[in-house]
Amino acid sequence: MASKDSKAAMPADTEKLTRQQLRELETKEKSKGQRILDRFIIALPFLCGLAAICEYCFIPNKSPNDNPYTYLGALIVLVLAYLCYGIFAAMKLRAGDKTVIEKYRYKAPLYAALFLLLAAYDYLTLKTGVLTQPFVPCMNYILNIAWIDRAYLLECTLHTLRLLFLGYFIGVAVGLVTGITCGYSEKARYWVNPIIKFLGPIPTATWIPIIMVVATSLFGGAVFIIALGSWFAVTVASMTGIQNVDKSFFEAAKTLGASERQLVFRVAIPHAMPSILQGCTQAMSSACTAIMVAEMMGVKAGLGWYMAWAKSWASYDKMFAALFMICIIFTVVTKVLDKIKRHVLRWQNGVVK
Amino acid sequence: MEAKKNVVLTLENVSKSFAKVETDEVTHALNCVDLTMHSGEFISLVGPSGCGKSTILRLIAGLITPTTGKVCVDGKEITEPSPERGMVFQKPTLFPWLTVRDNIGFSLKMQGKLKGNEDKVEHMIDVIGLQEFREDYPGQLSGGMAQRVALVRSLINEPDILLLDEPLGALDAFTRMNMQDEILKIWQKRGQLAIMVTHDVDEAIYMGTRVIVMDANPGRVVSDITIPEPFPRDRSSDSFVRYRNEILNKLHYGGKGQNA
Ligand SMILES: Nc1ncnc2c1ncn2[C@@H]1O[C@H](COP(=O)(O)OP(=O)(O)OP(=O)(O)O)[C@@H](O)[C@H]1O
Ligand SMILES: [Mg+2]
Repeated sequence: MASKDSKAAMPADTEKLTRQQLRELETKEKSKGQRILDRFIIALPFLCGLAAICEYCFIPNKSPNDNPYTYLGALIVLVLAYLCYGIFAAMKLRAGDKTVIEKYRYKAPLYAALFLLLAAYDYLTLKTGVLTQPFVPCMNYILNIAWIDRAYLLECTLHTLRLLFLGYFIGVAVGLVTGITCGYSEKARYWVNPIIKFLGPIPTATWIPIIMVVATSLFGGAVFIIALGSWFAVTVASMTGIQNVDKSFFEAAKTLGASERQLVFRVAIPHAMPSILQGCTQAMSSACTAIMVAEMMGVKAGLGWYMAWAKSWASYDKMFAALFMICIIFTVVTKVLDKIKRHVLRWQNGVVK
Repeated sequence: MEAKKNVVLTLENVSKSFAKVETDEVTHALNCVDLTMHSGEFISLVGPSGCGKSTILRLIAGLITPTTGKVCVDGKEITEPSPERGMVFQKPTLFPWLTVRDNIGFSLKMQGKLKGNEDKVEHMIDVIGLQEFREDYPGQLSGGMAQRVALVRSLINEPDILLLDEPLGALDAFTRMNMQDEILKIWQKRGQLAIMVTHDVDEAIYMGTRVIVMDANPGRVVSDITIPEPFPRDRSSDSFVRYRNEILNKLHYGGKGQNA
């Protein structure tokens, strides 16, 4: 797509080497064949997108397909988005910034696979009916129903998000406090450890029937369950993190005038940060599981409930629409957590590389 | 720089024993150590491994308390660590989550004195010549650089007593000699009391105004040698060799003048 010029020559003035130039100097120069291959790979998602569009338009349908343009429109938007991104990368390359195009090239096979997957799915559902129609609806059905039912779907999404984050943040906050206190103080550990040992192995879902009986509000009960799971993950992770802090760091900090409080906040917590963040990620995945179980079993709102409800009415397209929504939410949340983690732990980068 | 403070450090009949983890026995790391040290002295501690050199420094730093006896500064018993008594450990123990600059400024920050003293931090970075690395994390430094950062991290408090626990142990011979001169320069400028543990007899003589020789089982002081030679010292001079033989003799390595 964009022309890749030959590699930059070794700059005469090595002092002013940038990170980008360094990378280029240290990676082997690409052969001509490789460069042609690169261009082909970059174009591949575009071709696959076109293939998916053709597949949808030209192969005859096996079952009726109302409102056929929704999926087509979505495909076209995806292909155009890919194209725009490509143009942006090419412009950056012209301006001398190779990072965008490299990332683009790196992700291209994945995008191509995505388009192929969409085409294959459409072929198996709408075109041939290998996956029987109303039970495994084709993409066009799912998109249509998502659009028609958008108001309610959105409401459920917001409900899920609210429940998820409320429970998650309460659990993480309390978990940080208990985990850090227990990691630092022997006495606190004495009392909290048995609780962890006792409650820890019980899967969160076990609580749901009890909560449904005991809790005055189901929402509150669900928050409690999600918070409990997150609390457990964060407590254990931060406790071990703090306990594993190298004693020599405490000694060094003490001779540098750190108070007891500063030893906790300026030494123990930063040192345990990798482990703490690991716990937060784990807490999120446990919260995601808990929320789905809670919504499918008791809470009368949210995406999990929407799915169960759609199933009982045999509206499988709605079920799939909710499923995709859930996937999107969890992917985004995990991605954001990962970004935060990478930013906070940037001091580890130098060591690893 | 502020007026020099004269301090007297005394160890009165200090013993320190550690309980062993596995058995019911105790290790006598130090047995009845009596020492008096003054500002302006550079004291080298030498002795076989396990004779309690680190233990003495940790007692003075206030990281541990003596089993019996007293460790006092100007007659006042030491009860806890203080930035007045700066310690440089054998491992640099730089905080890996802080940049070089923040590591050096750590102590000021802990005491709430960083505001308005940023130039002091910059000055320390200049002293060790790591201007280009001030925003780097310790993981990106070489061993010698890290040890230099650890040194000025303690020095920034202008401690009255400087405790050095084999600070140069992990360095190659050339870096080591450079660092010896750098430490001497810093010490000469302020004239504080410096106490340095070392495995290297030459280093002890090259830097110390006094060499204290210790022996193990139980840990004790066997000899206290004053070296009144002027700085900088010549490693091949007759008197240097004489001192070396004397100390090696005390360490039971005969008088051939080879390195221990
Ligand atoms: N925290 C501790 N717990 C138990 N025993 C200890 C502890 N610290 C030191 N010891 C013991 O005290 C003795 C003296 O230790 P110390 O670290 O002072 O030796 P050292 O002279 O510094 O040796 P090296 O030159 O190898 O560093 C050793 O026998 C050691 O096992
Ligand atoms: Mg030691």
